[in-house]
Amino acid sequence: MSRNRAIDPADAKQQILAYCKRKGALAAGVADVAVLDRVAPPGHRPSDLMPKVKSVISLGVGGQTRGAWTVPAKAMGYFGSTESRAYTIAYGCAFFIEGRFGVPSIYCPPDVDNAFGTRVPLQSLKLHAEVAGIGARSLAGDILLHPEFGYMYFASVFTELKLPPDAPLAENPCPAPSCVKMYRKVGRTPCMKFCPVQCLSGTIDEQGNQVEMHYDMAACADLSEQYEALPMMLSRAAHADDADDVLLDPDNKLFWYKMSVGSGGLLAQCFECMRVCPIATQAPQADPILRLEAAERQAGDEQP
Amino acid sequence: MTAGLSRAQLGVTDAMLHAYADVVFKLSNNLQTRRGDPIRRLELDAVDAQREALGMSDAQIAGRIGLTPAQVTWIRNFAENRRMRVNNFQRLLELGGGRRHREERFVPHEDRFAYSEAALALRESLHFDDELTARYVQAGWWSNQTLSAWLEQHATATPDKAALLSAEETVSYAQLQARVEHLASALYRIGIAPGEVVTVQLPNVPAYVVVYLAIARLGAVMSTLYMPHRAAELETLLAHSRSRAFVCLDATGDFKPPETALALQANDALPDLQQIIVAGRAPAGTHALNELLSGNAGPLPPLPVAADPLLLLYTSGTTAAPKGVPHNSHTVLSNAAAGVEAHALSGEDVILSAPPFGHLYGLYSLHLALCTGATTLLLPAFTPPALAALIAGSRPSVLFAAPAQLIACLHSGAFDAHAIDSLRMIVLSGNAVPARLIEQLGARLPRATLTQLWGMTETQAGTYTRPGDPPELAARSAGRPSPGTEVRVVDENGAARASGEEGELQLRGALLFPGYLRNEAADQSAFTDDGWFRTGDIASLDQRDNVIISGRLKDLINRGGVKYNPRDVETLLDAHPAIQQSAIVPFADPVLGERACCFAVLNPGHEITLDDLCAYLLECGIGKIKLPERLQIVAEMPLTPTRKVIKGRLRVVDD
Ligand code: SF4
Ligand code: SF4
Repeated sequence: MSRNRAIDPADAKQQILAYCKRKGALAAGVADVAVLDRVAPPGHRPSDLMPKVKSVISLGVGGQTRGAWTVPAKAMGYFGSTESRAYTIAYGCAFFIEGRFGVPSIYCPPDVDNAFGTRVPLQSLKLHAEVAGIGARSLAGDILLHPEFGYMYFASVFTELKLPPDAPLAENPCPAPSCVKMYRKVGRTPCMKFCPVQCLSGTIDEQGNQVEMHYDMAACADLSEQYEALPMMLSRAAHADDADDVLLDPDNKLFWYKMSVGSGGLLAQCFECMRVCPIATQAPQADPILRLEAAERQAGDEQP
Repeated sequence: MTAGLSRAQLGVTDAMLHAYADVVFKLSNNLQTRRGDPIRRLELDAVDAQREALGMSDAQIAGRIGLTPAQVTWIRNFAENRRMRVNNFQRLLELGGGRRHREERFVPHEDRFAYSEAALALRESLHFDDELTARYVQAGWWSNQTLSAWLEQHATATPDKAALLSAEETVSYAQLQARVEHLASALYRIGIAPGEVVTVQLPNVPAYVVVYLAIARLGAVMSTLYMPHRAAELETLLAHSRSRAFVCLDATGDFKPPETALALQANDALPDLQQIIVAGRAPAGTHALNELLSGNAGPLPPLPVAADPLLLLYTSGTTAAPKGVPHNSHTVLSNAAAGVEAHALSGEDVILSAPPFGHLYGLYSLHLALCTGATTLLLPAFTPPALAALIAGSRPSVLFAAPAQLIACLHSGAFDAHAIDSLRMIVLSGNAVPARLIEQLGARLPRATLTQLWGMTETQAGTYTRPGDPPELAARSAGRPSPGTEVRVVDENGAARASGEEGELQLRGALLFPGYLRNEAADQSAFTDDGWFRTGDIASLDQRDNVIISGRLKDLINRGGVKYNPRDVETLLDAHPAIQQSAIVPFADPVLGERACCFAVLNPGHEITLDDLCAYLLECGIGKIKLPERLQIVAEMPLTPTRKVIKGRLRVVDD
């Protein structure tokens, strides 16, 4: 307690965010717990997970390499693994806070809520990041986009340390000007047009701002969340005339393969909406190559 | 189970599922709508106001509609599972990622692989020998050549090149492809699925080619009726082929194919027939071909592949019961692709077929043209003046014809009235090629290649002479096997005959059909135990393995135990000035078993008696045993589309 009182919240925040960036986060911020508690539904509020939580720190890591966007669709679905980098940083950050400031902290589990099945998370990492000001909801099913870093993966740290919260982003980078242009011409933005299952739709106003976003998560999951296909396949096999026909179907064998190698392919998204998104792919620091170029430019500017 | 509780423990009844599954699904996160950007803007009242639309948690839904959270979870999970499709990700893989995606190109899996029972049975009949299949694939004879791929290739490479030339119009390759895709999608829309049989009875007009290629694009199967076919053949062949659709003219003389088909449909005589498509005035209950060609193009099933069935043809053999001959693209198109090179054809050629496309010989010329990107010149109906005038007017470079057709042109003087000097090659097939015909054509077209070709519905082009062969070879021989084809000549016991000795011609190869449709008896007699096809033709091989066809096994006359082939007698009779066409058939004799009767069509203004005829044959050196013992003068012979005499239909009248 006494140690807690001696801590300067602004300085602590600066140290914590610096830690995250040093470890590889592109962006980090602090979400206002009062806002989170108001927006998140009961059972999924930060205090439901950590009763004495005072601050939620959200951090984002780079979404994809530039090369990843060039691979065919069948491989695209396997690129869902950069989030683990974010989790590692968040884990480290919780240890860092406890070790540096002596205040209880946790790495927020990114997993689904056991009681509610595969589509309901324990906590919305998206909500944390949005309220912490490191992403804004896009027309692509509310995937968060950042004006500088494009498409990121997020992780959160809960702590009993009170830190000054950040504000959400002042502007939403979505829709990008080229998307507005396309929308005016054909009534759809790239993410809407190229989603394989057409689960995205929405409207944009005269000023180019989002008016409505519709996302059919069931259709998206049906395409890309194959873990739900496994029990379905077993159930079908149980009722089929020839169970081998179902279980050993070449496509279904893929599921067994994934199980056996523990691959996370196509476990979250198919990424096609992001592949065609100008913010995700072309924001000033959207991929490591752009970041390298930005760093080189900056170094050039700083030379006498 | 939810939270370890069974459905019964939770009290979730069927009635509850029925009542709440939809609303729970809609209120859940599964369908999300967000208006504005309320969280980022911290408009928290707006967040509350659109909580429902944003997608609610199970607990929130439970509170909203008056169920327990566990009940909502169970019901939501049920509703999600009901919608879940295993393997929907195939959609993504098939459309390709990124900007290649076009949702309108996706045909749901359940729609595309729904082969009907009839279609599956036809596919089942494509039962090729496994060893031979491996051999043809490894040797490169069988690859993935399809008509659709050929058309696409030419429509891309030479879009403005004429694909079809007819009296009414010239159709470029690009136009042809557009029409084909349009019609294919229209056929698909009206229920013609991959694997279904569509029977076509049309003359050689552009629509025939469009219909054939549209059927092929769909992965459906074309069957054909010849133009002279009437109600009896229509019923027999459409029933046997289990045709799903019939494409025909509105009328052929007095015969009205659409009305006939409608009547058969009404009588349940053709239970598989669902669509009648009419080129011309379409009566009620049928589709006008023109309308199908003019509607909006819609989705198409995936492109067919070479192993899919392509054709179901019926033999032009003179046996009474028709035999269904299935072919896929492997057999007919590999044979055509090899033929392009062997006949020295190129995309510059303008190819004319005098026989109808209803016959595989006619289709062979079309396959060659489509393979090489040449132009197909169309002759709707053969008559000597029509053929001669078309050659003179449109100047084709290659002509496919039956010898009898050209004999008729020469006899009628049609080739005197019209210039035919554009022809650089004439391919002759369908019946025996008289040496005199080769001489006469050679005299008119000294620089042209004359090719004799032998083929059957079961084989397409089996053997032929090649450009560069000495001209006399085409006068006496049907040439060497087509590339990818093997032939042998054997005696009754299956032993190989020596060069020059007659026996039965047997064949196998990449071109050979796999067996008759639903006709095991025919298969058993048609194939040897070691997989060779018995052609039923009598032939010998010369020193260079050129095939010399000398008759049909079933035409042999067995006079008191002495069997002889009447072909040489017929050849001599056909050369007699009084005789236009002859055919020798056996008639029953109580003592000798069989004797020979000569049927003859006379040239105008001529007469002949049996005695005259025998004297002439003796003079030509024919042995007495082969002399006909009856003569029947007829006005015309029953002919196949390639003008082969259908001997089975010649009835010997008792004395
Ligand atoms: S992840 Fe795939 S299915 Fe889901 S919204 Fe994006 S493009 Fe559509
Ligand atoms: S493509 Fe990206 S920027 Fe454009 S509307 Fe979609 S999510 Fe927004």
